[in-house]
Amino acid sequence: MLRGFFVFSFALPLFAAAPALKDVKVFPADVNLRTRHDRQSIVVQATYADGVTRDVTAQASYALGQKSLAKFEKFTLTPIADGQTELRVKFSGRTLVVPVKVEQSQVEPPISFLNDVMPVFTKAGCNTGGCHGASRGKDGFHLSLFGYDPDGDHHRITRELIGRRINLALPEESLLLEKSVNRVPHTGGERMKPGDELYRTLLSWLQAGAPKDPPAVARVVRLEVQPAQSVLEGTDEAQQLSARAFYSDGSDRDVTTLTAFMSNNDAAVKVTDAGRAIAGLRGEAFITARFEDQAAGVQVLSIPKNLPFTWPAVAETNYIDTAVHAKLRQLRLAPSAVSDDATFLRRVHLDITGTLPAADDVRTFLADRSPTKRAAVIDELLGRREFTNLWVMRWAELLQIRSADQQVQMSAKSALQYFEWLEERIAANVPADQMVRQLLTAAGPSFENPAANFYKVERDTLKLTENAAQAFMGVRLQCAQCHNHPFDRWTMNDYYGFAAFFGQIGRKPGEDPRETIITNSASGGVKHPVGGKDMAPKFLGGPKPEIAKGTDRRQVLADWLVAPENPWFARNLANLVWAHFFGKGIVDPIDDIRVSNPPSNPALLDALAAKLVAYRYDFRALIRDICNSRTYQLSATANATNAGDDTNFSKSAVRRIRAEVLLDALSAVTGAAEKIRGLPQGGRAVEIADGRTSNYFLTTFGRATRETPCSCEVRMEPNLSQALHLLNGDAVNAKVTAGGLVKKRLRDGQKTPEIIEELYLRTLGRFPTATEKEKLQAFFPEGKNPETALNDLFWSLLNAKEFVFNH
Amino acid sequence: MQQPPPHAPWHPNRREFLYVGLLGTVGMTMSDLFRTEARAATARQLGASAGKAKSVINIYLPGGMSHQESFDPKVGSPIEYRGPLEAVKTKIDGVQFSENLKETAKIADKITVVRSMTHGEAAHERGTHSMFTGYRPSPAIAYPSMGSVVAHELGERNHLPPYVLIPNQTTPYAGTGYLGSAFGAFALGSDPANDNFSVRDLTLPGGIDEQRFAERREMRSVVDAHFSALEKSDALDGMDAFYQRAYAMISSKEARAAFDIKAEPAALRDSYGRNQAGQRMLLARRLVEAGVRFVSLTYGGWDHHDNIKAANGRLMPNFDKAYAALIRDLDERGLLDSTLVVVNTEFGRTPKINGTAGRDHWPKVFSIALAGGGMKRGYVHGSSDATGGEPDSDPLSVEDYAATIFHQIGIDPDKTLMTPGGRPQAIVKDGHVVKDLLA
Repeated sequence: MLRGFFVFSFALPLFAAAPALKDVKVFPADVNLRTRHDRQSIVVQATYADGVTRDVTAQASYALGQKSLAKFEKFTLTPIADGQTELRVKFSGRTLVVPVKVEQSQVEPPISFLNDVMPVFTKAGCNTGGCHGASRGKDGFHLSLFGYDPDGDHHRITRELIGRRINLALPEESLLLEKSVNRVPHTGGERMKPGDELYRTLLSWLQAGAPKDPPAVARVVRLEVQPAQSVLEGTDEAQQLSARAFYSDGSDRDVTTLTAFMSNNDAAVKVTDAGRAIAGLRGEAFITARFEDQAAGVQVLSIPKNLPFTWPAVAETNYIDTAVHAKLRQLRLAPSAVSDDATFLRRVHLDITGTLPAADDVRTFLADRSPTKRAAVIDELLGRREFTNLWVMRWAELLQIRSADQQVQMSAKSALQYFEWLEERIAANVPADQMVRQLLTAAGPSFENPAANFYKVERDTLKLTENAAQAFMGVRLQCAQCHNHPFDRWTMNDYYGFAAFFGQIGRKPGEDPRETIITNSASGGVKHPVGGKDMAPKFLGGPKPEIAKGTDRRQVLADWLVAPENPWFARNLANLVWAHFFGKGIVDPIDDIRVSNPPSNPALLDALAAKLVAYRYDFRALIRDICNSRTYQLSATANATNAGDDTNFSKSAVRRIRAEVLLDALSAVTGAAEKIRGLPQGGRAVEIADGRTSNYFLTTFGRATRETPCSCEVRMEPNLSQALHLLNGDAVNAKVTAGGLVKKRLRDGQKTPEIIEELYLRTLGRFPTATEKEKLQAFFPEGKNPETALNDLFWSLLNAKEFVFNH
Repeated sequence: MQQPPPHAPWHPNRREFLYVGLLGTVGMTMSDLFRTEARAATARQLGASAGKAKSVINIYLPGGMSHQESFDPKVGSPIEYRGPLEAVKTKIDGVQFSENLKETAKIADKITVVRSMTHGEAAHERGTHSMFTGYRPSPAIAYPSMGSVVAHELGERNHLPPYVLIPNQTTPYAGTGYLGSAFGAFALGSDPANDNFSVRDLTLPGGIDEQRFAERREMRSVVDAHFSALEKSDALDGMDAFYQRAYAMISSKEARAAFDIKAEPAALRDSYGRNQAGQRMLLARRLVEAGVRFVSLTYGGWDHHDNIKAANGRLMPNFDKAYAALIRDLDERGLLDSTLVVVNTEFGRTPKINGTAGRDHWPKVFSIALAGGGMKRGYVHGSSDATGGEPDSDPLSVEDYAATIFHQIGIDPDKTLMTPGGRPQAIVKDGHVVKDLLA
């Protein structure tokens, strides 16, 4: 009471000028009540002009058309008689009409093990990995993890240790119930209360004789969670979520109370068992909902109450800025200022070509007065050979181009052929969809068609499936090999159905032992480990295609994957390209998109993917858009609002330069080339064809070994070995001496200030500041040969953070 | 997204306003409140024996070392459970080790063996994550390794990196997780078992004397100042921290000497064994003696699905000799009481020998060894059942294991650390110090 009083007295002056109401939505937009015990709860969300949303379910008023058909109580509709009517929802002067359909209102539906009982185990947490879902169960009782094996679960409950777990004569005394309410000691404690919904479901099922479902029982095909986005202003502000399942027989069901909810950031937004999202600290969270084998997620943002914020009037260069700014406004974050020309030039050189701008490039660019000079330099850089090199390297990582321990399996020669095949395609700007199609459908001798190496790099059908999903769709399927994915929608059926596309690949040796001939064997397949059924190919997250016998299944897969309407391919590629330029994906890590790790800005990712399709998968065109956006050109310096933001692209990310590019840069600025195994003298580290090739520098700075397609192979974190190597190793000290740049300039008669300036331009891409010039004077006393000090300055610049980082 | 940084103007929401108002009347601030909580936690978990260990040596046997063929032989069980190896008597009455641990058997009176370690993670990466971080893997948060937590909490000593990996990055879970990258380990990048072993780049390059290096450092600080003033990020802080540490190491002869295994007497090197197990453990001793707080080394590949007799026979004798030598050496130097030596692995192996004469993954029960740093001497903690399938008594959970190690090195396992997202995380969640393990 005391608190209530205080809140009231403090709160009064704060409701001064409330932002205007922008939109009101009712979830769900239509109500279908089928059978006697069906019900549907209603959630109303209001959106205001400042982007904030409020749950106004309790403030809205409701009028049901024909009260004889349904009952509306506690914001929930229940059926009375068959027919159609409507619910009119009124809030703040706006009215929304929700059609209500009632069918089979007198029909008592049979209880279903799959659709009623299994969700209880998930909701109550019985089948999680820490409890009975563990691979060998818990305390002698095993349930399949997140319910991947309903038949097995039914068997274990009803047939294993007969008479122990269920008691059909006295259902209330079944151990299953006694344990779940902790009436008999249960390691997991009280999971439900006598008489609550979960308990009643189990009890009704037992009272009905613990039946197994008829084969034709309807299955859940989709889970929908609403509202898709909420922006909660102030701690403890809450939004009720609504979960609805859609079934194969066309029916739907309100499953909010049966759905297990999980927040990925409890500090920002926590979620109750009942699906109520409650704001905490400033931040954003994704709420994952799981019902049966389906999962879905929604985004909830938490922003402080009454945060003084004015959106700055900033320009939008293109659709990228539109999408980024929309999110920033919601979060009350202002983007940083646009970077200066020197910073931009260095950044865009590093990002597009993996090289530093030459000293004269910097001078010319800074002197250029043209307002379109940034766009011009982007175009020029996109045409360079170094651009191709950089992206061949990136694709070589995705495709794991690397010779194997067993040369017969993947020889250095095969790796080189594969790399060159890739290089030809990227140099010729072959659209990514065509390239991936050539890889997936590759057949014939691998020496003649190096794309066939895609099937040489990995021979294991399941690993091949996982790699393809990770590289081309950004999905990590690994978990679903053994059980339904705990944090995603993938079931074992999805996994093995997808693997079946790779189940008919023939491999035979060519004449050269290093060569393999890839064929469509048109026979064989992939078996589900539970039940041993031969799986029909099924698209991941898509339908089962009709495939005539003998047709190459990979062809069917490729047609589906690279089709413009495919939801994965273009988004994954767009995200991969984005991550290269921002140091972080919109989905991050880029190859781990899942329900519980969705895009930070879905509209941005959608826009980029749509553009990539419109550009016919020409990713140069997408890069042009990205580099021209204001968002890409922002400074890394934070403003008063965005210091803590590292997910919404409100400022440029300071990123360490990756291993290969850093080594190449050291060679280029000192003029001391590196000798790398397998490359001609002067060959650059980004051109390494075989992932097996490395050296101390590249390993220490985290080069990808290409043993997996995972983006995590490239390691960017600093460590002590790197510092020691730059300070004492040959990468800097020896190169400065070997390149002899300072000696040459002195021999050419250049003066110390000129040489200092050139060293700055070569390494940092900018002129020395006045302060720097002044402080450096002390190191160059009159009458002393400046060579040593200049070399030391060169060394210092190469050891500076500003050199090692792209910013 | 984070909370506003501390220097940003504070805009209290209503609730904060209220709390601060109330606390103000009794003369407390918010931070006092948090400190009080921290002290309460300290009182709860840090007992008298806390902090006995000054350093930890973690000997990690990757792949999943079988408990049956090491510290928990199933002597009386049928042959398909017992496996192909015999058992030997140890210095502890009535306790036997597997026959390939003959030397360790002789120092059993100096160590604690845990035969009831247990968790539920049967995949290598998940099991390793558990044993390195004290947490089950989570899709939402990256946990720091115990070594990084030690680096974060205790910092450096004698100009040496607080956390060292021998010879390389041991596992991806030996990393910094949500802690800043500055708390990452120093991986040697070279194996002390090699004749030409040296840790690279510890000494100044030829032609650069200390005077010139000092000038270079000074010049670098001039060049670096502009950017440092402009930009902030964890990676930049990390690089700064590592440069400071590198400077300190380069200029300290004693620190550099810690890595010089050749300075050890030849006879001692022989006693550890001139092989990977021996020389890695010897270097680990040398490092903790010099001041490194947490050394993690790996030895062998223990994923013995096939022919466990041969595979164990290849690996175990070298481990046995080296480990026994390490414990004796530490003890003779008076360092055993202040050095906690943890032998761990990600899980044990199946009770029954499989079709290829090996054993498969088994996390339900397995063995680890804890020695020194305040652990009991000559003690066996817990037991597995007759077939090595389940803990029979005193199961040791990952959380309790982690809490006990942190406690011994003087870190309160209940203390909360903050993630970059402003999310408080306990160093160990719901872990309890296992008093029975302590001397």
